[in-house]
Amino acid sequence: MVSSLSKQQQSLIASLADQPEIAGTLELVWRQARASLPSSLLDDWVGACRSIAASVGSNAAIAFIRNSPSVAAAAGPQAVMALAELTPQFAALAGDHTALALLLAAPIAARRLASPQNFTEWLRVIKRVAEEAPESVSLLLDRSGRVLEGLDVRSFETWALGGIRAAENDPEQRLKFFALLDTRSLHALEHGAGSVAFTDVERELKAFVAALWRTIPPIRVLPPAGFDTPRRTCFVNGVVRVPQSSRGVDGVGGKDLFRASLAHVLAHFQFTPAKLAVGSLKPVQIALVSLIEDARVEQLAIGHFPGLRRFWVPFHLAAAGGVVTAPALMARLARALIDPDYFDPHGWVNKGREMFLAERVRWSDPAISRSIGGLLGNDLGQMRAQFNPRTYVVEPAYRDDNQGLWDLPSAGAAAGEAVYDSVRFEQSETDPADREREAQGESSANVAQLVPEEAEVGVAVARYPEWDYMIGRDRNEWTTVSEYSPADGSAEKIDGIFERYPETAYRIDALVQAAKVSRPTRMRRQPEGDRLDLEATIGAAIDLRAGLTPSSNIYARLERRWRDLAVLVLIDASQSTNDIVKGAGRPVLELERDATSLLAHAMDGMGDPFALHAFCSDTREDVHYYRLKDFDTRWDTLAKRRLAGVIGKYSTRMGAALRHAGRDLAACHSYRKLLLLVSDGEPSDVDIADRRYLVEDARRAVLSLRHQGIDLFCVGLDAGGDSYLTRIFGRSNVIQLDHIERLPEKLPLLYFRLAG
Amino acid sequence: MELDDFRIGEEPYYRAIGEEVRFYKAAYAERMPIMLKGPTGCGKTRFIEYMAYSLDRPLITVACHEDMTASDLVGRYLLDAQGTVWHDGPLTIAVRHGAICYLDEIVEARQDTTVVIHPLTDDRRVLPLEKRGELVRAHPDFQLVISYNPGYQSVLKDLKESTKQRFGAMDFGYPPAPIEAEIVAHEAKIERGMADKLVAIGERSRNLKGHGLDEGASTRMLIQAGRLIAHGVAIEAACQIALVLPITDDADIRGALTAAIAASI
Repeated sequence: MVSSLSKQQQSLIASLADQPEIAGTLELVWRQARASLPSSLLDDWVGACRSIAASVGSNAAIAFIRNSPSVAAAAGPQAVMALAELTPQFAALAGDHTALALLLAAPIAARRLASPQNFTEWLRVIKRVAEEAPESVSLLLDRSGRVLEGLDVRSFETWALGGIRAAENDPEQRLKFFALLDTRSLHALEHGAGSVAFTDVERELKAFVAALWRTIPPIRVLPPAGFDTPRRTCFVNGVVRVPQSSRGVDGVGGKDLFRASLAHVLAHFQFTPAKLAVGSLKPVQIALVSLIEDARVEQLAIGHFPGLRRFWVPFHLAAAGGVVTAPALMARLARALIDPDYFDPHGWVNKGREMFLAERVRWSDPAISRSIGGLLGNDLGQMRAQFNPRTYVVEPAYRDDNQGLWDLPSAGAAAGEAVYDSVRFEQSETDPADREREAQGESSANVAQLVPEEAEVGVAVARYPEWDYMIGRDRNEWTTVSEYSPADGSAEKIDGIFERYPETAYRIDALVQAAKVSRPTRMRRQPEGDRLDLEATIGAAIDLRAGLTPSSNIYARLERRWRDLAVLVLIDASQSTNDIVKGAGRPVLELERDATSLLAHAMDGMGDPFALHAFCSDTREDVHYYRLKDFDTRWDTLAKRRLAGVIGKYSTRMGAALRHAGRDLAACHSYRKLLLLVSDGEPSDVDIADRRYLVEDARRAVLSLRHQGIDLFCVGLDAGGDSYLTRIFGRSNVIQLDHIERLPEKLPLLYFRLAG
Repeated sequence: MELDDFRIGEEPYYRAIGEEVRFYKAAYAERMPIMLKGPTGCGKTRFIEYMAYSLDRPLITVACHEDMTASDLVGRYLLDAQGTVWHDGPLTIAVRHGAICYLDEIVEARQDTTVVIHPLTDDRRVLPLEKRGELVRAHPDFQLVISYNPGYQSVLKDLKESTKQRFGAMDFGYPPAPIEAEIVAHEAKIERGMADKLVAIGERSRNLKGHGLDEGASTRMLIQAGRLIAHGVAIEAACQIALVLPITDDADIRGALTAAIAASI
């Protein structure tokens, strides 16, 4: 056996005789390789060495040979073969150096990922990164150890592809991201590593705060700070600021830390009536007064909500013993003041606790914090315990940094600006309905004045996620929809449309008439009803007398089929709608407008509530949205003027517009809700190069709206657009018009078909 | 008298909050149609039962629903061996024999259905049975009461103006905390201290109205939780069963409510 193996070895090494270096390395690692690779694979393996040597170079081959045993040991022999297979391709894609980096990173990745499947997946992602960000892939490989420390292969993919996407085609940004110099990239890494993002728990925690205190203060997420600054919840001037994410501490989860922090801040809001004046207090006294104040408001809050104690106590971990330093004693005092089961032998801690408890009846008076804190500060000074205000960190982690507690003149100005920012930020989050009404009010106030077109000012009303199919995730708050006041055109233009299409207008009127006069139908032979169905009754009576069992379906009732349908027509007003349609000699937008007017006429006739909105987009930051007519306004001259005033510009970010329109429609109380999109082309925007991206996002938007019970239908004006519109809306929900010039006739008829 | 089944045998427990009992008696003396407004589970039905008992009148309750037709209220022809036979509906029974007719959640019924009550609710006090060709004059004891939850139904489901204006209205809300605790303690047969806790929890959930809940926990829910506690269920579990799980399917709001309950006890 041994001799046969060594024969194999001999022959293999002999086959590499032309490359003595490789043969030498092979000889060196042969023993390990034989231990980790099955003998059946050894031939292939040496073959792979040869081909890597041939296509990438001998250095790569040596690296491959050296690293193969450890890769095989950690992730199985298949991993080695997958690596061998990828290496030449990879070198062609990203260069020989990068291929070498791959071979060096492979054992690290194999150790972290530990299974052949994960390893192959990892290779796939690396290849993907090499394709999309060739300049960054070697950086990424260099940092494999760090990156894979907290991520599994799935979240690694999300992280890496997300980084590429976030860099928005800027190679420099990508380099920064993969070099882990970008705070976003670090945060993203942490998010992968089991921490909780505030936005994920925001809704629940806000509801929790509302349940306890009835109000929700403005909460602002702190921008990502440097990596070494402690990130904790704090408050300034009534605005709560929370870190982006939290990992929790010492076995308590991130969500619980957020909750404890918010409860603490809210206790301050409730029971700390005014900011404390610094006066002549020394830093150590300030820290102690804050500590007592923290304990005081917590005790008062516990008086109202006894269970809060259980939220806070787990974070108090200070225990007796250890070195007696000022921060340690203060942490112990903090615990002694809230945790009745904690006993501390230290005289100072005990004194603090007794003084605090002695004032139990006066807890509602904030002055006690100052007196107790001041005294304890003096004692601490006499004990010569070192206190360094620079390095002092408030313990435990859920408590704020006390900055908001004190009236600090210098910090006030800087904070004021931030507060202003957050108030503005909160506004955009307030009840969208109000905001819409406001925007509407503004626009109707503008009717009398002529608004010059250049002065177009949009109000950002909402942010929506966007679906990134590459990472299979929503990018939260990725697009901003701004509502603009629609420009005014002339209403006569719209009224003239009916003269242009006399036949269609006539047909619409006839259809409306027919639909309107449809009488309630009589349902016969029903098991229940408000009157007897005479025929059925006679039949039943005959049965009875004949001794048969009569049918119980002897009633008749009138049933009126109530129409309960709300329609939102969304018009694509992108630049491409200015193209002239061949057959008609007029731009697409004009045909859209004609069609929409006829449709509006029909819907108005039917009495269905309907809205006409238009959109275009100028990057994800600015999706323009125009409300030409809303559900609760009339189809009158103003609406017609607005429809006439729509002009085509910018691009088509369909998903964001659909989400915004869907939100309106979802708020309608109709039984059926129909969103009708009239579009001339595929979704596109200037900041997106990937054609599939916006299509997938729009599809995602359509699916989620459908879940909310909204029917979506698209009228496509692009003869070649079949594939992507079908992808977005589903085959049966798209109608393609080959002859765009016929749109005005088709659209209203389509409505009758859909709504009939 | 065939209405004995509709009489309320034992005095129902009702804890008055204001002067609603006196006001209602005055309205009944005039046979004024009354509308009871308020959120679900705040005691509207219990109040009318109590009033029917103290006035010694039979009470006929009809729970209204979307598919209810006028025949469901007024009556219909049924078929028997001999031919057709008229069968009075609950409203007609009340009108003929002098009962208080209570139409619960009237807005659930379609508007054209509710129009049948119009001739009963003005000074005519008659009920025309169109299909039977009969005009029933209301018994002197007859009174119509409807309940109406303005917050809960959709905007489209509202009473017609012509219907609304026929009624006097009494507004019910959740009782003030001490009274609510008294009610919960009595109904669930638990100690007052526990009832206080439940009421505090109820308040927490009512704060969430508009922040993810359409309606906070009703007094009825708190009583249900109390009853579970009376059987030895721990308060957290009882609140989960009787309160958190029924009230919402939204995981975030459930989490928030559970935490708020934990904070309150």
